Amino acid sequence: MVPNPTLGWERLQDVFYRKRTEYSMMWNDEVDLSEFIVAGAPYGGAIALVRDTSRPMSYRGPESRQKMILIYSNAGQLICNIPWDKGSIRGVGWSNNEQLLIVGEDGNVRLYHDFQGAFTQFSLGKEAEDHGVAECRFWGTGFVARLSNNRFVVISRYEEPRPRLLAEISTTAVELHGWNIAPPSYTLSRHVEVFLGVNNTINVIDSMESQDKRLQEGPFTHVAVSSNGALLVLYTSYGKIYVISSDFSKKYSEYDTGTLDSPSQVMWCANDCVAVAWENEIRLVGPGGGALSFYYDSRIALIPEADGIRIISNEKCEFLSKVPDIVVDLFRIGSTAPSAILLDAVEQLEFKSPKADDNIQLIRSNLNEAVDACVKAASYEPEQYWQKRLLKAALLGKSVLELYSSDEFVEMCETLRVLNAVRYYDVGILITYEEFIRLTPERLIDRLISRQRYLLALRLSDYLQLPTDKIYIRWSCAKVKASPDDDNTICKTIVNKLKAVPGVSYEDIARTAYDEGRSKLATLLLNYEPRAGRQVPLLLDMEEDEIALIKAVESGDPDLIYYVLLHLKGKYSLAQFFRLVNDKPVASAVVEQLARNEGPELLKDFYYQDDRRADSALVIYREALLLDDVHDRMDKLKLGTKIYQDSKDPYPDAKAMEDHAKLYEHQLGYEKDYKTAFVGLTVAETIKKLIKIGQGSKASKMKGEFKVPDKMFIFLKEGTYPVPKKN
Amino acid sequence: MTTILTTINPKALKVDALASFLQLLESVRGKKSLILDRTLSAPLSHIARFSVLQEHGVDNIFWLDDGPQKDTVQRNIVYLIRGDIKNARIVCDQVKRIIQTSDVDYDFNVFLYPRRMLSVEKTFEEEGVLGDVTISEWNLGFIPLEEDVFSIELPNSGFKDMYLYGLPTTVSFAALSLNALQKQYGVYPRIIGKGNNAKKLCDLLLRMRQESQASSEQAEWAKGDTTAFEQLVIIERSTDMVTPLMTQLTYEGLIDEVFGINNSQAEIPSAIFTASNPKLPPNAPSSSSVISTAPITDRKTRKIVLDSNDGLFANLRDLNFAVVGTTLNKAARKLNEEYEERHQAKTVSQIKEFVGKLGGLQAEHQSLRLHTNLAEEIMNRTQTEFFNRALEVQQNLVASGLDTSTLNQTIEELIARGVAIDVVLRLLAVECLSSGGMKEKDLAQFKRLILNEYGYEHILTLSILQKLDLIYARGKGYSQFQFSNLRKTLRLIVDDVNEQAPDDIAYVYSGYAPLSIRLVQMVIQKRALGTRISSLGSGWRGADDILRNINGEHFDELQKGEERALRARAMLSAKKEKKTVVIFFLGGVTFTEIAALRFIAKQETERRNILILTTGIIDGKEIIKTAMDQVPSVGPIDV
Repeated sequence: MVPNPTLGWERLQDVFYRKRTEYSMMWNDEVDLSEFIVAGAPYGGAIALVRDTSRPMSYRGPESRQKMILIYSNAGQLICNIPWDKGSIRGVGWSNNEQLLIVGEDGNVRLYHDFQGAFTQFSLGKEAEDHGVAECRFWGTGFVARLSNNRFVVISRYEEPRPRLLAEISTTAVELHGWNIAPPSYTLSRHVEVFLGVNNTINVIDSMESQDKRLQEGPFTHVAVSSNGALLVLYTSYGKIYVISSDFSKKYSEYDTGTLDSPSQVMWCANDCVAVAWENEIRLVGPGGGALSFYYDSRIALIPEADGIRIISNEKCEFLSKVPDIVVDLFRIGSTAPSAILLDAVEQLEFKSPKADDNIQLIRSNLNEAVDACVKAASYEPEQYWQKRLLKAALLGKSVLELYSSDEFVEMCETLRVLNAVRYYDVGILITYEEFIRLTPERLIDRLISRQRYLLALRLSDYLQLPTDKIYIRWSCAKVKASPDDDNTICKTIVNKLKAVPGVSYEDIARTAYDEGRSKLATLLLNYEPRAGRQVPLLLDMEEDEIALIKAVESGDPDLIYYVLLHLKGKYSLAQFFRLVNDKPVASAVVEQLARNEGPELLKDFYYQDDRRADSALVIYREALLLDDVHDRMDKLKLGTKIYQDSKDPYPDAKAMEDHAKLYEHQLGYEKDYKTAFVGLTVAETIKKLIKIGQGSKASKMKGEFKVPDKMFIFLKEGTYPVPKKN
Repeated sequence: MTTILTTINPKALKVDALASFLQLLESVRGKKSLILDRTLSAPLSHIARFSVLQEHGVDNIFWLDDGPQKDTVQRNIVYLIRGDIKNARIVCDQVKRIIQTSDVDYDFNVFLYPRRMLSVEKTFEEEGVLGDVTISEWNLGFIPLEEDVFSIELPNSGFKDMYLYGLPTTVSFAALSLNALQKQYGVYPRIIGKGNNAKKLCDLLLRMRQESQASSEQAEWAKGDTTAFEQLVIIERSTDMVTPLMTQLTYEGLIDEVFGINNSQAEIPSAIFTASNPKLPPNAPSSSSVISTAPITDRKTRKIVLDSNDGLFANLRDLNFAVVGTTLNKAARKLNEEYEERHQAKTVSQIKEFVGKLGGLQAEHQSLRLHTNLAEEIMNRTQTEFFNRALEVQQNLVASGLDTSTLNQTIEELIARGVAIDVVLRLLAVECLSSGGMKEKDLAQFKRLILNEYGYEHILTLSILQKLDLIYARGKGYSQFQFSNLRKTLRLIVDDVNEQAPDDIAYVYSGYAPLSIRLVQMVIQKRALGTRISSLGSGWRGADDILRNINGEHFDELQKGEERALRARAMLSAKKEKKTVVIFFLGGVTFTEIAALRFIAKQETERRNILILTTGIIDGKEIIKTAMDQVPSVGPIDV
């Protein structure tokens, strides 16, 4: 007999809480939580255990001295262990994508991408290196580290970790207590804020300033922000709890714990109440000052979740949360809510009792609402038996209704199947419905992939109609890493498997092969990559430069072409580089543009090697125009003319360029003779000026030399244009 | 995942664009200095005013080429640049200089338009500043200039990059933007077009779609079994260079020719605003117009906004200039009558009603005064001898192209008498294009004339025009373009055009129908082009011998949606749902071409919507400027 859901409900003021045992821990007897720091990934993810060096531990032989980070599922199943060879660990946390973060005292941070130990490392910057990290607080996409000099360093994005110092604490006479953070999504500024207990008050620190909130009630040893960011709980050293709004404008409640023992953890249970944990007690404190205690035999660890708290102890993994009103209505003894009556009707129907119909008639007018409530309540019910009961009730209800959109019902059935599959102890992801909606199905699939549960991921993706290519890719990568087979066999196996997903990208798989030192396999696999652009970076790494260039051009993406060319330009001599692009028009055009940006010399080199004399002459001509001195210009023009005339296919404009030099020559002569400015005028202006100063014969000479047409000359001379002859 | 939007909403596009930009700005905490790539000020100004930027922490703005001024720059520095290597280098130099010369702990952010780029990051890495800057991307895509015209606002419409430099950037940009639209509104069931770069664009679009279908990128595509589009028509600029080089004759086109329009704004000499006012009743309430009270100095110009928020302009913009006068008169009379209504207003409620309308009337009055003055000024300029003779040559060239020798004499005269060089170059280009090149002798003569009259530095200009295949000797051009073969088949010349009540797009050029728009008609409005064309099959079918005379490949591709989508579409089209035809101009479009397309859109309004997309607005001046820009501007020469 499945127990009634109400079993284990506890009342706190007018609200019910339930603490359910989700898993019995399977971990090897070696694990004793009292020796570890525990960090759980958000959305019911994996748990990381790191030895707490501040606590005594039992001696287990010499090999245990090497530090290990142990990663377990919620059911206490070891997922992997990661060796740690760096110094002291000052922070253990997780990202929303279930990447583990370990912060060392020296300011080095490792971000583990998967459960196979692959990581990237970055530093928290000079300040952290100099002073050392004291402790860290994490949120979904970043974390804040407190340094031992009490400066705070924030990392706000893991894709591009850039350490940024927050403002210094403003108060001078400083005695620091507890601190915590408000994640960026919940602050007014959209940037992370630190709440720090200073003396008897709280300072709010961000990158710009540190603001004293001028409280009197401190010192505050613990601070925590509620899951919607609206409320703040402050815990004082003398055991008092204050709940205030997170903008410090309003105090909601206070509560005296009556003990001076410092709690191990203070946090919110969603937005509903505050949980204070001591060594072996959890006390829930409600908004009205009511309290509810749970006692344990050994040390416990609390992990805040979006809609409750995960409790890890040596024996079990529990989930503590408020019982939603909708569920209370359904199951409370003697409830007359329509949903409860509908649920009862199912039971009556099973007994073939006419009361079933009576029930339906009774709630006829509220039937819609009752069906909705049953569907919704099923999402809160972790027990499959009750999920089924509730959905059955909904089914009965909606069969009576004339018009009811079944979308939600169908969707709920699908989602519950997925949730039940991942909550199964062998997978051990303790995710609630609300969290699933927030996490999104795609990222849940990612979590399965990183646990190497490929088949399950595939089944669920198919079921939810999500793309499956990523699963195949990650499976293939694992295959490449693990398989002892020869290159051809592996390639064939992978290609066969990946046939199922047309258009799937092979780039990652090929790169994995390359990173594993199997270049031949990498080449084999890369041939199957359908997107030219994707092949490029790996081809460059593999030094297949020309193919990389061809593929980049094929992709039509200028960025890739520039990227490859920049890469190649640094690698080859200029002549080799030019030769490489010569027969590729698009690449040539891009190189020409690169040269144009870099200046005339490179451009001339480029034209020269490509035998584009006319173009290089024009570059010289342009350079000539940029010279300030007319003699320099003339020299340069002559040089340009020479290049033109040397050309096998003489360029008609060579003559014009020569003429330009000639014009300067004449003009210099006129300036000398007539002591007036000529240089810089056009031929027409020169003629006009000559006529104006009475040098008609010189003007005529110009006309002949520069082939000025008669009519134009007449116009310049007389100011009127001759009327064209009629034929 | 969103669902497909069935109607294209320009306002929402703008709002989204602004929201995403502000979000980007907010990612940098506190006050900041914005350092802006000049070529991005146009797209940015379309979505956000300076005051909005100020509200979101932008303290001051510097141009990228000037760099930040040390004494006023904020600790937070935000670069907003087009992602290319040249810009990346400038940023690197500035960042390095600032870091070296200052001990303030600056926070450098780089927003790359339109996306993050490997090549830019590689440049940052090579220059050693990658660790000092935070890189984000600013993805804008199409900006609605009007309800029916969206632009990517590429500098120079992407014309120079594509044709002079042969770079793939313009096509790539276009593909990204068109693909983004497709993700949001459903696939283009058919992509049809003309031009070699257009073909590349089409291939790129097809590949992008295909690649995203199998992979996780699918999630970026809106889910739905329908599409807002009927088809995508891609017309590349090189298919018709004649049209943009001709002097535009619509009202908006002429404003562009005379004053230049950038970002829907024209700079008008302030003196124009003092010209005589339109004839309005002397006792009409005088509006407190900004225009009439501003200080007037001769050299000063004022920016005016030209868009359809101005109702009068919306009516005038696409008219042939010849009928603008009468339309203005009519508007003045109507306005007068409306003012007169106040005498009929007897009861309190009638007076109240009139007063309620007064604001609108005053705005109309102000607009009327502006456009009357503007039209008068344009009239003054178009009545000059130079303008008319150049226009005559132009119209004759496109109309017959037979006796070029007399026309050449006129061009010669214009050169000798010193008409602006761009006018001459445009005429020469139109001549070459419309009559298959010039006689070698004539070309040499014109070149000499130009160098003699305008200076030798135009060797550069002429060489570029030749490279662009705009000026060439007979038989020496590289293109397959045969204008003379198209004149008749595509009815490019319409003799009895009625500018008052036009029945054909030829009204826009007083008798010449833009070739580019005829191409569009060949796809979507065959029946308007006579029996020769209307008997052709769907798309380009049967039109090979016509298209042979125009540059570049032609193509007609069907994009298949998923099977379900196809069926759903069949069902929808049975319901006669009105779909949108997207006309995309690769390499720019002129105001006049837009006017012609709007004319078609009006005729087609029962059947389909027409949305005009482009890489930018272009005109003859801009094209000639592309060539002239190669001439360096230099100061006086030392002797």
